[in-house]
Amino acid sequence: MKPGRGSLLLLSPAGAVFLGFFFLPMAGLFIESFRIYVPGSIGSKADAPFTLANYGELLTPSFAGFFFETLRISLLASLVGLLFAFPLAYWITRSLAARWQPIVIGLFVTLMFLSVLVRTYALELTFGAVGPLRPLLVEIGISPNSRGYIETLVIAGLLHYIVPMATLTLLGTIQNVDPRLFDAAQALGAPRWKAHLGVTLPLCMRGLLAAFLFAFTFSISAFVIPMILGKGRVLFISNLIYTRFSEIANYPSGAAISIVLFVVAIAIVYGMSHLVNKRWKT
Amino acid sequence: MQATQQAVIEFRNVVKRFGAVAAVDHVTFSVGAGETVSLLGPSGCGKTTTLRLVSGFEEPDEGAIEIAGESMVGKRPYERNVGLLFQHYALFPHMTVAENVAYGLKHRCWPKAEIGDRVREMLRLVRLQGFENRRPGQMSGGQQQRVALARVLATKPKLVLLDEPLSALDAKLREELGLELKQILTAVGSTTIVVTHDQDEAMSLADRIIVMNRGRIEQQGTPDEIYMQPRTAFVASFIGRTNWFHGKIVEAAGDGFSRFATDSGTALAIRNSSPVDGKKWSVCIRPERVTVTRSQDGSGKPGDNQLHGDVVDVVNMGAEFHYIVESPEGRIMVVEPNRAGARVQKGERVTLHFRAEDCVVLARDGV
Amino acid sequence: MSGRLVDNVLRLVGLVAIGTIICFLLTPIVVTAIMAFDSRGYLGPLPPPSLSLRWFQRFFSDDYFLRGLGVSAQLALLSVTISVCVGVATAFAVERMSFAGKEALISLFLSPLVVPPVVTGFALLLFLSHLGIIDGFTRLLCGHIIITAPYTIRATLTGLAGIDRSLTEAALILGATERKAFWDVTFPLARTSIVSGAIFAFAVSMDDVAVSIMLTDAKTYTLPVALISSMRANFDLSIAAASVMLMTLTAILILILEKSVSLNRVIGQGVFRS
Repeated sequence: MKPGRGSLLLLSPAGAVFLGFFFLPMAGLFIESFRIYVPGSIGSKADAPFTLANYGELLTPSFAGFFFETLRISLLASLVGLLFAFPLAYWITRSLAARWQPIVIGLFVTLMFLSVLVRTYALELTFGAVGPLRPLLVEIGISPNSRGYIETLVIAGLLHYIVPMATLTLLGTIQNVDPRLFDAAQALGAPRWKAHLGVTLPLCMRGLLAAFLFAFTFSISAFVIPMILGKGRVLFISNLIYTRFSEIANYPSGAAISIVLFVVAIAIVYGMSHLVNKRWKT
Repeated sequence: MQATQQAVIEFRNVVKRFGAVAAVDHVTFSVGAGETVSLLGPSGCGKTTTLRLVSGFEEPDEGAIEIAGESMVGKRPYERNVGLLFQHYALFPHMTVAENVAYGLKHRCWPKAEIGDRVREMLRLVRLQGFENRRPGQMSGGQQQRVALARVLATKPKLVLLDEPLSALDAKLREELGLELKQILTAVGSTTIVVTHDQDEAMSLADRIIVMNRGRIEQQGTPDEIYMQPRTAFVASFIGRTNWFHGKIVEAAGDGFSRFATDSGTALAIRNSSPVDGKKWSVCIRPERVTVTRSQDGSGKPGDNQLHGDVVDVVNMGAEFHYIVESPEGRIMVVEPNRAGARVQKGERVTLHFRAEDCVVLARDGV
Repeated sequence: MSGRLVDNVLRLVGLVAIGTIICFLLTPIVVTAIMAFDSRGYLGPLPPPSLSLRWFQRFFSDDYFLRGLGVSAQLALLSVTISVCVGVATAFAVERMSFAGKEALISLFLSPLVVPPVVTGFALLLFLSHLGIIDGFTRLLCGHIIITAPYTIRATLTGLAGIDRSLTEAALILGATERKAFWDVTFPLARTSIVSGAIFAFAVSMDDVAVSIMLTDAKTYTLPVALISSMRANFDLSIAAASVMLMTLTAILILILEKSVSLNRVIGQGVFRS
């Protein structure tokens, strides 16, 4: 049934909103990224000529370094997050008594709803350099101001969102796996760990990949978490964009970085989910 | 008093295509007042499409549909006074039982004062008094079905359509509810069409059965006619169990009887007056019309057809026994009520007896 | 029986991991909640010697925070209202359609969820500046509408998809016209999903930092932006008090969500999947 007039009328508010607040601005950003920036002014001049210099700048080692650092930390956080989330989701689905399930699930949902600012602040307060745990950390020999510790803290911040999110996603995935398949594997002689490796894990592949995708795109787009926990030492791409924008009003460069981040995010989501659909048809 | 025998619904040469496939292919039938007719057939036979054509969710490509003499072409479902009991009941989960039952009355503009009484009357009819304020989610499957029935009958529809009414229930409940359903429908005097793939459902609920296959009607008749006088091989196989013999008619034996020779050479007497022209025929006999005796007990009545064989299996079904006998004609199944235990044992040599009158002769479709 | 040994070891490891992760998730929250009531005027080691409400008083007497709170509340209510209207209309229109591009259209409407929020904010800022719209509140409103709309659309779509087709047909055969069937059956059954979408949208709007920080101006700022600036300036416990307040707000939202839509439906409907 092709869309009728009534449907088109209903779609017009969304059309206006998305066009005006999203698609046109993104197109504008795209154009801006090609303009020349004159240091000292705010943004580019209205008739500035086009250039690829903004993008060229991103290929230099210092910039590329930021990109790779963001990707590296995001990858690490996503993998670790999944590593924790899968057994957690499995435990909730299969081992936890039915009485407790809604409570634990409710807890995770509440955590997800909780403001990212609150959680990040909580982490900084508890584990940070001026927190109550400071004496303990110094005793163990960890310097709370060292680069390694700060990076770990950023990962912890990302995990605080990734683990509940991935767990909730995987709950559905594991529920869809017939527990009798696992029993069948054991009846055929496989110890539990082999049964999981050979049976449960492959069947959950799609869910795992979906959760990974979500975690990864969230991480590379993260802004608040690296801003607060990174203390300026660990910078993510989003923070870089903000710096370009607020400290130096170099809009074209900020735009170029934004477009690259945008393309990377879109490519990962659509590209990988396409791959997932092809390889692991349920 | 002569009542005008106007059919409640007339379906004339109706065709409905989906793409290149005719889901309903020149179907004609009618249902009279107070009759219960069943549309019976395997999935894909067109019975569900027919149901949707009657209720108005699909429009026919060709043909006429008339309810109480009025043409239904172009009429939306809410413009027809037809009731439909959905397979999974389709009770509104956000409304109470009373609101569900009253829904049709509200939208067909019954006066407000009468709606309450009518709802109570309907709930009494389906033995659910006191359930007015329950929600469908709080009720069992059987109870939900009764609410759905009450909802359908409340508006006094001219025609009631039941879509696989008993399929969602387990065996015991099916029997009980089937009986109750029949009683209620008779008490209300409704004209009913039951759509089902289950022959037990059809045979127990309907006065007349319409067997459908691949969009066409194979045969219409009473349950007995369908069962004892199937007119096509499909109907013979689809309804109940049959034993088959394939061969040719070899000579007329007079009095309407003929001699039939199977492909494997056995001679049978059949009641049939078709010409001896070398055409291929199939003969089928129902398992309960075959009797079995031990070979040494002498032969049966004269005029019987006889086959010798060995018993390869005896299945005790509780209320009846199934004997599977290996004969020159292949495996023959015999069904006997369990009056005093099994009369023959596995491995015994037995003789099968059946009358020529009980054989049904059908043209062989295909090879 | 090495198989069994490995099983037991792994099981122990698994349980330890689960315990650790749950502790890790909960500890910062608990610590913050405790510290918010710390009577000391500085950040000291746990446990606090006594409890007081001084930080809450501090927070509520600070104009800076209160202004941010006011703006956040207004923005959230306004943007959610608009988003719900836009989202519901869109979802109903798209649901009824069944043409080849339907999936692509839905992806298009959900695309802001995939784009990094900083980018969204930045693009919007440039665009609005070009149009000459420089008022902070208006800009923030535009930003909040575009980040909340995908949530209302998705929640409504999921709710509509869950409605059994035969219910509408039942209404039709009982005598209701298409329009009446919509109001009697479809809308009430979708209502809970619409409400859950609105609640999600509200939480997203109240919580947003990245988009807001790009669109804010000196006069108009949201509470999260105020908190973040405060955090970078001086890290004191009035923010802990603000956090506890936000936690309470979240708990209330979850309770409302639980009462109107059971949480199982929220998770099961893949709201947490992109």
